[in-house]
Amino acid sequence: MQVRVKLVGVFKIDRFRQEMCDYPEGITVMEVARQLGLSEKILGIALINGVHSGFDSILQDGDDLTLMPILEGG
Amino acid sequence: MKINTTTPATNPESIYYQRCTVNLSTGKMEFAEVPCRNLEDVLGGFGRSFQDLARRKIENAYCDENPLIVNTGLLTGSTAMTGLRTYFSGYSPIKGSKKGLPAAMWSTGSGKFGAKFKWTGLDELIFENRSDKPVYAVIKETESGPVVELKPADRLVGLGTHDKIMELQKEYPDAHFAAIGQAGENWQNNYMGAVALSTENQLKSKEDKCRFAGRGGMGSLMGYKNLLALVAQSTDKMAKPSELVKAANLNVIKGGGSARIQPISRGGGGGTWAAYDVLQEFHAVPVNNFRPQGNAIPEKLFRENVEKTHDVKIEACYRCGITCHNNIYEREADGSRGEFLAKFDYEPLNLLGTNIGIHEAGQAARLIQLGDNYGMDAISLGVTISYAMAYNERHPEAPILNGVNFGDYEKARELIIAAGEGRCPEIGKGSMRLSEETGETDYAYHVKGLEIAAYQPESNPGYAWAIAGGHMSMGTYGLLTREGKSDIDSWVQGITEDKLHIVGFDMIGLCKFFDIAKGIGTQMVVDCLKSEFDFEITAEEIRAAVRRAFLRGMALEFRQGYSKDEFRIPAEVYKNPNPNVKLPNITSPEFLTKLEERVWEIFEPELEGLLD
Repeated sequence: MQVRVKLVGVFKIDRFRQEMCDYPEGITVMEVARQLGLSEKILGIALINGVHSGFDSILQDGDDLTLMPILEGG
Repeated sequence: MKINTTTPATNPESIYYQRCTVNLSTGKMEFAEVPCRNLEDVLGGFGRSFQDLARRKIENAYCDENPLIVNTGLLTGSTAMTGLRTYFSGYSPIKGSKKGLPAAMWSTGSGKFGAKFKWTGLDELIFENRSDKPVYAVIKETESGPVVELKPADRLVGLGTHDKIMELQKEYPDAHFAAIGQAGENWQNNYMGAVALSTENQLKSKEDKCRFAGRGGMGSLMGYKNLLALVAQSTDKMAKPSELVKAANLNVIKGGGSARIQPISRGGGGGTWAAYDVLQEFHAVPVNNFRPQGNAIPEKLFRENVEKTHDVKIEACYRCGITCHNNIYEREADGSRGEFLAKFDYEPLNLLGTNIGIHEAGQAARLIQLGDNYGMDAISLGVTISYAMAYNERHPEAPILNGVNFGDYEKARELIIAAGEGRCPEIGKGSMRLSEETGETDYAYHVKGLEIAAYQPESNPGYAWAIAGGHMSMGTYGLLTREGKSDIDSWVQGITEDKLHIVGFDMIGLCKFFDIAKGIGTQMVVDCLKSEFDFEITAEEIRAAVRRAFLRGMALEFRQGYSKDEFRIPAEVYKNPNPNVKLPNITSPEFLTKLEERVWEIFEPELEGLLD
């Protein structure tokens, strides 16, 4: 299935900003993050189709997934 | 501290802190070993100072009865990482109720002054009354205990924060310093004066790399007292950390609590500046006085774009492994690093950059640097300027001040200089007073008289219950954006329980980046207290003390005349919702009314008797 993945902030470095990716059925947000080699320590926010989701959420064909670093402090 | 117990929660009276009270009008000093009243006193910071402030009924911040309390936290100067905090407390010139009474306030910063102060043997210094001539105070460690001296400060008058520190360093090369800038000296017309704290990096490099206790105008209160600087002279007493503290410190760096603000090169998020990227995804980066436009304009100050034209050097506070400083330098034509400009933290960068329509990194950095050198709180300064710009956008035919508009660097710069020099009280007294003068208060972005930080209020109705700095005393600013919580129950729980614990760091002497998400009621802190003081204390006891201190702060707000109607976010947010913010709407009048009802149901009964 195809998922459009968007990476935000430091996650873009040496990767991509937005890309259409092929994944097997049943893949979770966390599994995508791990495949992309994103640091779990700073993985903070996942949006599926613009809505906050858990990292164990299962993706569907055609989903838009946005992965962002954690936001805290200022 | 003199500690005669291992159980501070149940036997606080067996712990004594060393206090010196200085009467600035007579020069008289009184030293006392004061028994702690409760665990809040033991922890220190605002947990102690607010109890003392509550004993005084102050109707005007600029009166002799309003003290300036300088103290530290229990872990300031300890081996626990980030233990560098100094606290300045008093009734605030800028934060106040509609009844005209000043609110109790604290402000805090790192730098090495706090540790040096603690190592003199003093835990708290209270300045009463005011001096009739400019003075600075020297706090010295001696064989017979700490000594405080007042010295003439004529040569410091008119200097900026960094220049005052450089001048004092010539005479006290082994000391660290706290100093106000011209803004604090011009306290009559500037209520947002900050206190600059010297850093090791600053004293070695001679670059203006101070840290700041910026919020609430404690620098203006210091200026009112004619007290221009503090000098802490002591030998360094940083011991070798125990195994317990080493483990806690390692956990601060490796455990994930501070990962987001560590350098990118170490796998971190790159400092608080990284909030730009995340918030922009929701079109929630404040633009032009908190009205994001749903476009890409904030991206101009993304790190990746700034690095094209400027050098970014990663640096750290004294003995801190978090390394959160992103220092911006000019880049010379040959590609080498040029002049140091400013430290890019999210708040000042946004509020003196994107939120006033400045999108060029060099210009934003120059404005931050200017505000720092005059010694003003970057948040209050930036938000008051953005208010003036918003007013002028609405009234092009009759603009106020110098006609400043969004994006007008030169005029913004003029206003900062004029405010710092006491020639522009309209800016210097903050957005609440300016908006009351213009009669257009809805788009003045303050809560209870204190300008809000660079998180859109659409994402943080919790600002209303913050008791000091907007986001740093109510940690709900990420509850919607980061955690995706948009239901009433989560917000009630966040405001009344989980997120108020952020203020624990303002008692104990640690920086919030020690573990900003969990607060100080953690095993890490329990371990540090066991190792440093042999304390038997639980995380629950610490959390209870933090909650009492928070609620005491709120009770004090009511005592200073606040009504519940003042616990509100700026009206523009709910009267004229911004369709560009891509987040669930949690600031509708209906949501806010329900939230207020539920929050007060919990808080109100707990406020009883806290100030007795």
